[in-house]
Amino acid sequence: MNITIMEEIGRRKVFCDGGMGSLLQARGLKAGELPETWNLLRPEIIREIHGAYLDAGCDIVTTNTFGANRLKYPEGGAFALKDIVKAAVENARRAVEKAGRGFVALDLGPTGKLLKPLGDLDFDDACNIYGEVVRAGSEAGADLVLIETMSDGYEAKAAILATKENCDLPVFATMIFDGKGKLLTGGNVESTVALLEGLGVDALGINCGLGPVQMKGILKEILACASIPVMVNPNAGLPRSENGTTVYDIDEDRFADVMEEIGQMGANVLGGCCGTTPGHIRKLIERCRNQIQILPGEKNRTVVSSYTHGVLIDRDPVIIGERINPTGKSRFKQALREHNLEYILQEAVAQQDNGAHVLDVNVGLPEIDEPRMMEEVVKELQSIIDLPLQIDTSDMAAMERAMRVYNGKPLINSVNGKKESMEAVFPLVKRYGGVVVALTLDEEGIPDTAQGRVQIAKKIYDTAARYGIKAKDILIDGLCLTVSSDSKGALTTLETLRRVRDELEGKTILGVSNISFGLPQREIVNGAFFTMALANGLNAAIINPNSQVMMKAYYSFRALADLDSQCGDYIQVYGGAPKAEGPLAQSVPGGGKGAGEDGMGLGDCIRRGLKEKAHQAVEALLEQREALEIINEEMIPALDAVGKGFEQGTVFLPQLLMSAEAAKAAFDVIKERMSQKGQTRKKKGTIILATVKGDIHDIGKNIVKVLLENYSYEVVDLGKDVAPERIVKEAVKGQVPLVGLSALMTTTVPSMEETIKQLRKEAPWAKVMVGGAVLTEEYARTIGADRYCRDAMASVNYAESVMGGVS
Amino acid sequence: MDLKETLRYLGYRGKDGDEQTLRLIRESWEELEQKAEKRACYREFPLKFQDKCIDMGCLQTKSRDLENHLEGCTRVVLFAATLGVQADNLIRRYSHLEMSRAVVIQAAAAAMLEEYCDQVNEEIRIEYEKKGLFLRSRFSPGYGDFPLSCQPALIGGLEAGKRIGIALTDSCLMLPTKSVTAVIGAGPVRQGSAGRCQGDGAGGCGACSKTDCLYRRKRI
Repeated sequence: MNITIMEEIGRRKVFCDGGMGSLLQARGLKAGELPETWNLLRPEIIREIHGAYLDAGCDIVTTNTFGANRLKYPEGGAFALKDIVKAAVENARRAVEKAGRGFVALDLGPTGKLLKPLGDLDFDDACNIYGEVVRAGSEAGADLVLIETMSDGYEAKAAILATKENCDLPVFATMIFDGKGKLLTGGNVESTVALLEGLGVDALGINCGLGPVQMKGILKEILACASIPVMVNPNAGLPRSENGTTVYDIDEDRFADVMEEIGQMGANVLGGCCGTTPGHIRKLIERCRNQIQILPGEKNRTVVSSYTHGVLIDRDPVIIGERINPTGKSRFKQALREHNLEYILQEAVAQQDNGAHVLDVNVGLPEIDEPRMMEEVVKELQSIIDLPLQIDTSDMAAMERAMRVYNGKPLINSVNGKKESMEAVFPLVKRYGGVVVALTLDEEGIPDTAQGRVQIAKKIYDTAARYGIKAKDILIDGLCLTVSSDSKGALTTLETLRRVRDELEGKTILGVSNISFGLPQREIVNGAFFTMALANGLNAAIINPNSQVMMKAYYSFRALADLDSQCGDYIQVYGGAPKAEGPLAQSVPGGGKGAGEDGMGLGDCIRRGLKEKAHQAVEALLEQREALEIINEEMIPALDAVGKGFEQGTVFLPQLLMSAEAAKAAFDVIKERMSQKGQTRKKKGTIILATVKGDIHDIGKNIVKVLLENYSYEVVDLGKDVAPERIVKEAVKGQVPLVGLSALMTTTVPSMEETIKQLRKEAPWAKVMVGGAVLTEEYARTIGADRYCRDAMASVNYAESVMGGVS
Repeated sequence: MDLKETLRYLGYRGKDGDEQTLRLIRESWEELEQKAEKRACYREFPLKFQDKCIDMGCLQTKSRDLENHLEGCTRVVLFAATLGVQADNLIRRYSHLEMSRAVVIQAAAAAMLEEYCDQVNEEIRIEYEKKGLFLRSRFSPGYGDFPLSCQPALIGGLEAGKRIGIALTDSCLMLPTKSVTAVIGAGPVRQGSAGRCQGDGAGGCGACSKTDCLYRRKRI
């Protein structure tokens, strides 16, 4: 091939082929038959279809490999995956040779599985599944890889990484958006473009799902933020079913009309998807062939993204919450050591509620395995928080693991002007995408002057460019040194901010709180400096969003700098009743408001499920009585009463749990008080809980966990879809006396039975209690369980009977 | 807001909720209404019965309960609906933060999904009655002896994966978890009522052998 596909796209409109599935059906592919098998069984038909599209004038033929992956073609099946992919590429290759022109795109469709945490497919497994196809396809001679019909950005990321790690071919990726411009898994155009461009695809766009008419609005959005060639491959229209067959609401001519508009709007590569035929493609090409090709220019948008949305870093300042960081926080360190992710999640939620746009994540402690912890925390955070994350570590292994599994385009904290740092960080940014914080220091240390810092910023931009990293993906940190040791420190920082903005047209970030080290009442200085920094052009600030002083500076700056239309946000936040000074209240969802002035006792608070009041009541009680006495005389009786009520049908599940949560709030206070005195509350014993392999419904198991913890049991929660071997291993390791298993569906009870069988063999001492919608007393007996627990209280009662005597 | 159904899913068995729970239910519905992305799709397929096997074009199965349910029908509408991944995300989030709310959201989501299925089902009913065809109530894999193993073919025939984002686990459970698939029979004679299965007859709770179930729907 003399001219590459990218060169063609640079010169003229380029055309893809249309649908494959419907054409195969017309030639006799039966419902339920796997289309990819025809690459081997009916190669002449596949070649004929490719040939028909090439005759129609298209440049790119896509191989018949949409569903060709290990999940649909398992090892040992009737067809070897590699043979199918190889034959598919050869079929396309032959058609191209016969036509004397054209490019072969290796087609990668979705796996058909949802990735964790939404589904049951591991990210790394998804990478491997795609990698296998890419290797086979590139060896067989594909010219490019087309990743298409992706409704999940995370899965697209797996496919793109797999492609780049297994071949050097150009990668195109098109996603399936709904009419509102969202992915089925929640991403929008901004977040998707940021993700795909960050991963370094060569062209991006939209296919399937909609007809060309509905795609116009989404294309407009894409063109507003994309800086690389844009593809549009719509369906033949909106489908409807007529007497069992699918028909579309527009015809070939109307399709071509709209595609002509789409070409004029600025799409660079055009083709079709479901329902489109060589006829559609021929007409489309006739209309668009002579349109002038204009590639999207560089948009210079600095965007980080989560799986739901992008955050633009520009004039309107971005708040990066700094609280997920163990430095100087003994409780946080304790949580990391104890593997208490719950505590970290609470910190994340509080910052989000208080207005953070991005969360910094730092889990560095000398005594922990940081890469492993970082990966785990990032996965947990992105499964319950929809804010973009800033990966904050100096451990390159931790940085890479986090960037790999991150679902979006992250912020990276940080690189600096040292050669060693740039050589370590930039390859990762290039590979996984991201916006990187660049500290203006180098081998010589931190320059005293703004001039010196600007010089380092320039060096960083230049070096990054050599790695193919654009200036928009770098945030310059002008560094702020503490003003108490250098009285010019703040002014130097502010000058650096201005000069990066004005001379380098760059974006800036600062860890604002450093300025006040060593001073009393640091917030006063922090707040003032924050406002000054914002006025000097700061684009992103790493601060404590739970601090009212900082957030007041933020909201008032925005109102004063014409960034808050009609002061709407300011009024929304501060327009209500005046708030108390000091840090914002940490949000305690579901708790009643107000102090315990009505004198409600702790037991009442627990019985009525009032979390905040229970918190206050126990604090008051601790002034007068011993912790153990409070637990035994106030809390346990209240919990027992609620539990009895639940069993008798006078208290219901939400109330039972609200009481449990109120008790937990009180226990937390007591625990802290006891640990101050060097005491600990003795646990009654350890219980393993797991939702069995194949089952992903874990709400019942989670309910049981909350209750057991309140009754002083140490719960090892193995999660959902847990293999029998893993449960057995944990039971043996901890000589655990009781294992609780849950399964919701009849299809997953066999794996519960298998787990029990293995436990009996390897951990014969362990009692097994089971629960779940389809189970009954008798069913539980048949599969060999010791006890069927019809609800959460039944599991508490059984645990008490097995080991409650120990205290 | 379907308070009664939400309470039923929470195990209230016809009793009224207390003030705190009612507040939680209201807040949960509001949050779900904001976050959930309701999507549905359906497609008509021909229906044939051949030696105890039900042939629905993209799907062949043996099920006496389904066969009884489809008696007199000439075609079927395969149906799928979901609240999308955000409903699951909410439940997962609150399972970490506030279990009582997670439980209520999960119940509210179940009730909301049924309500949404009824809405779409009603549109289909009107469409079909114009053609002189009457719908049976929805019958889902897992009801009676209609096996869950039919899910891949059902989801595949509907292309529910790429159209509305429903995926299956290896054990044929649907993801997002707040999803429904169903077979809706259509025939020239009106029989029973369209929509959700009621507590008696061949469908739904009536076809289930777990008679002591806390959530069993009683015919009112």
